[in-house]
Amino acid sequence: MDERTFERLAQEYSGRLYAVAYRMLGHRADAEDAVQRALLKCFAARASYSPRWAVSTWLYRAVANVCIDELRRRKVRGEQVDDVEATVRPAAVGQRLDLTRALETVPREARVLLALHYVDGLGYRELAAIRGISVNTVKSQLTRGKAILKKALQAGGHDGSD
Amino acid sequence: MDRTDATLRELFAVQPPAGLDRRLREALREEPRALDALIDRFHVEASERGIARLLYGRGRDVAAGRGRRHAEQARQELAEYLAGRRTFFTVPVDLAGIGEFQDRVLTEANRIPFGEVTSYADLARRIGHPRAARAVGNALGANPVPVIVPCHRVIRGDGSWGHYAFGGALKTRLLALERATPLLIGCASTRIVCRRGCAHEQRIGENGRVVFASVADAAGVGYRPCKVCKPRDAAA
Repeated sequence: MDERTFERLAQEYSGRLYAVAYRMLGHRADAEDAVQRALLKCFAARASYSPRWAVSTWLYRAVANVCIDELRRRKVRGEQVDDVEATVRPAAVGQRLDLTRALETVPREARVLLALHYVDGLGYRELAAIRGISVNTVKSQLTRGKAILKKALQAGGHDGSD
Repeated sequence: MDRTDATLRELFAVQPPAGLDRRLREALREEPRALDALIDRFHVEASERGIARLLYGRGRDVAAGRGRRHAEQARQELAEYLAGRRTFFTVPVDLAGIGEFQDRVLTEANRIPFGEVTSYADLARRIGHPRAARAVGNALGANPVPVIVPCHRVIRGDGSWGHYAFGGALKTRLLALERATPLLIGCASTRIVCRRGCAHEQRIGENGRVVFASVADAAGVGYRPCKVCKPRDAAA
């Protein structure tokens, strides 16, 4: 893959990669840093990119790997992140604040799958390829994550549906 | 897709910040600041028991007999560490001749997880001398094997770096390197999770690498810990 092709792909996916990273980390600056680091890693390894893989699988795995490692460090440091995007509509701020807090209660492996699933609508097979797990594990993790998320949203006053 | 799914998709949407593409494009054009080239500036002195000193700057390795093997191993592990391919050292160190207090400080410093930092005061507390932060700093300053015994992971309580034998700039670069290097890598085909730097981990293809935040997380999705490098959550 040449530089120009990679740059075009980076531009095409940057918004979605950022959204996944933000939903994983709950912090704007950390999310942008994670996307940058993931893209730099992919750029350096672009010669080893195999066309057998969907580009999205390759890029999402890279960003998930960076975000998961960032969460590991946070766990050790015992940090809590409290940052809500400033660009959302005021009426939605409450719900999104709930979501950010609720996501913090979801275990990391389920959280990464929820982020990928709901940001870009990725299917079970692609999620399994991104995280190197079985399709059945994807399904069980998503079900578990969704149940925890719904419960946390309901506790926060949002019913998780409409 | 049910109604909840539709709502969640809407809730998960995020507006990317202005200028994101431009900043990412600029980052891609920056020259990578790899630390690999620094390997030639490190020199080891090795005894038969292990690495006795690690030096930075001009010089050459000093080793004889079995010490040569230790020196070669240290050089290889250092090169991998500086390239972001290793998160732990297995080369033995020879700390013969250091005092008991310094030995305790260095042993405790060696327990600071890769990529983490702690303060001089905290380290003093951990060795049972809560008022000896300055003495801990002196003991670390006289660490004969920096990097291998990670005294660069100890900083001042106010967040500033404090003294570092190889200079503050190198301390910054080492900590940044550790921040950018994941610790636990799973192999998507064997479903085994290793510490970065394990011989098995180094054989995982670029497209088969999955990062985990803990051994428990990995076990929860069907991965088992490597029997060779024995990753443990305590080490994470």
